[in-house]
Amino acid sequence: MNRSVPATIIIAVASIVLVLVCLFPFAWMALSSIKALPELYTVPPHWLPDAPTIANYVKVIFNSNIPRYFMNSVIISVGSTLLALILAIFASYGFARFDFRGKPFFQTFVLVGQLLPTAAIIVPLFITLRYLHLVNTYWGLILVYMIITLPLSVWMLTSYFKAIPIELEEAAIVDGASRLGILFRITLPLSTPGLVAVLVYAFVTTWNEFIFALCFATDSSVKTLPIGLAEFSTEFNTDWGGVMAASMVMTVPIALLFLFFQNLFVGGLTAGATKG
Amino acid sequence: MGRQSTGLLFILPAMIVLAMLIAYPVFYTGYLSATDAKGALTIKNYANVLRPAVTTQAFINLIYFVGGSIVFQVVLGTAAAILLNLEFTGRSLLRSITLIPWVVPGIVAATTWAWMFHTEFGIINYMLTGSGVIPAPISWLTNRDTVMPVLIAINVWKLFPFVAIMVLAGLQAIPADLYEAAKLDGANFWQEVRFVTLPQVWPVITAVTLLLVIWGLNSITIIYAITGGGPANRTLITPIQIFKLAFESFQFNQAAALSVIFFVVAAIIVAIYLKMQAMSAREAR
Repeated sequence: MNRSVPATIIIAVASIVLVLVCLFPFAWMALSSIKALPELYTVPPHWLPDAPTIANYVKVIFNSNIPRYFMNSVIISVGSTLLALILAIFASYGFARFDFRGKPFFQTFVLVGQLLPTAAIIVPLFITLRYLHLVNTYWGLILVYMIITLPLSVWMLTSYFKAIPIELEEAAIVDGASRLGILFRITLPLSTPGLVAVLVYAFVTTWNEFIFALCFATDSSVKTLPIGLAEFSTEFNTDWGGVMAASMVMTVPIALLFLFFQNLFVGGLTAGATKG
Repeated sequence: MGRQSTGLLFILPAMIVLAMLIAYPVFYTGYLSATDAKGALTIKNYANVLRPAVTTQAFINLIYFVGGSIVFQVVLGTAAAILLNLEFTGRSLLRSITLIPWVVPGIVAATTWAWMFHTEFGIINYMLTGSGVIPAPISWLTNRDTVMPVLIAINVWKLFPFVAIMVLAGLQAIPADLYEAAKLDGANFWQEVRFVTLPQVWPVITAVTLLLVIWGLNSITIIYAITGGGPANRTLITPIQIFKLAFESFQFNQAAALSVIFFVVAAIIVAIYLKMQAMSAREAR
């Protein structure tokens, strides 16, 4: 493509600015995480560490609650994601392929679920969970994360299922396949990209969630990584090296997962939002 | 196709879970807000929660935070999308990098920026004083005048990538012949942006803005982790006030009353927004 010299320069400058803005905090986090304590508290700050060290990581991995919280995060995120996916598959299939009384009402209900301010229902949720003895349990968090992930998952998957030609299913019905057989043998395999998109969305969202975890997980046996990180940094004397190392431990797995599935995810999200 | 009841069976499990987690809590919030600790009906909770000046201030702070964030998120996100829509070497790498702020967990973004804005050891003060932009280090996060703009900037950094990918998807859906027609008419780059691109992506921008409003009204993580609502309630927003009333003061009924007010206000804002969108869609036709 031919472009004038000034236009090329503008594009180059804008790209560099964009990269710096997006990457700089992440880079600074990574650099700070390998600096020894004295170097972190130097004025003026050093750009690159004089003597890179993994001491902060050793501390985070062997001398803190972070590994425990990491496991809790994995259990809760995986559990909640799988449950949301299963519920969303059935619900989306119902919405995409059937007409039934009350369907507009139920679809609006799902939409409202997406629009609801979470801060407004945190108090009754807490009371409900306490009544059901689910505060400080994996199940409590797995369930409440449904509020955040299920509505958009249903929304995204419905548009995926609708895009699959109905003739394929009709042919299978003629051959005597059951509804569930069709769903599992025909529709699901054809919507793998959509399923992955929902999976990544739900996993990233639950992994990053902070405020529900803060309210419903007060015991270290179920606390998740975001809470662990907040504790790390709100102690009276913040150990910034440790905080940055813990931040890396929390961010890198999720960033890799996301970047790997980026195309599917972005496609699923835009399909869900623009086609409804 | 299919019988009435089959479709209902498919959606039932998800609906039960959502009813349990959304419908029931919403009604229960209403009940809590209208009763006292013993369960007797009262309007005291509303009076008690509306009376203190801090409630008004938290709401004004919320509007300031959400409004300020959205303006910059939409403008910067759209600009980034227009850049990413051009064809140049390294575009797909740039697109991946642009997504990073959005993927970084909110709490990580909060702590990293708090470290960067550290008064003594923060890199931002160092860069600004070193280049002579400011004469002396600023205590960004404890100064009453700088703390909110700084939090808005962090929030903008976190979410403008989301606007960028959504708008980018909208841009890529624009038929190429529209641009060719504009070129034939002798349009320059800015005229193309003004008369072809923006009108075409406007529906996406409005849909994204609605999501940003909802997320903005919900935002707690960044502000709570960095300032906890301080200094002197300068960054206290309504969601944090609800959280503190319930889980620090254990005033569940008052917190519920504030939740109901907040819910109604949020619903009104969303309704006005949808109404305006429907009106502008009609005008466009």
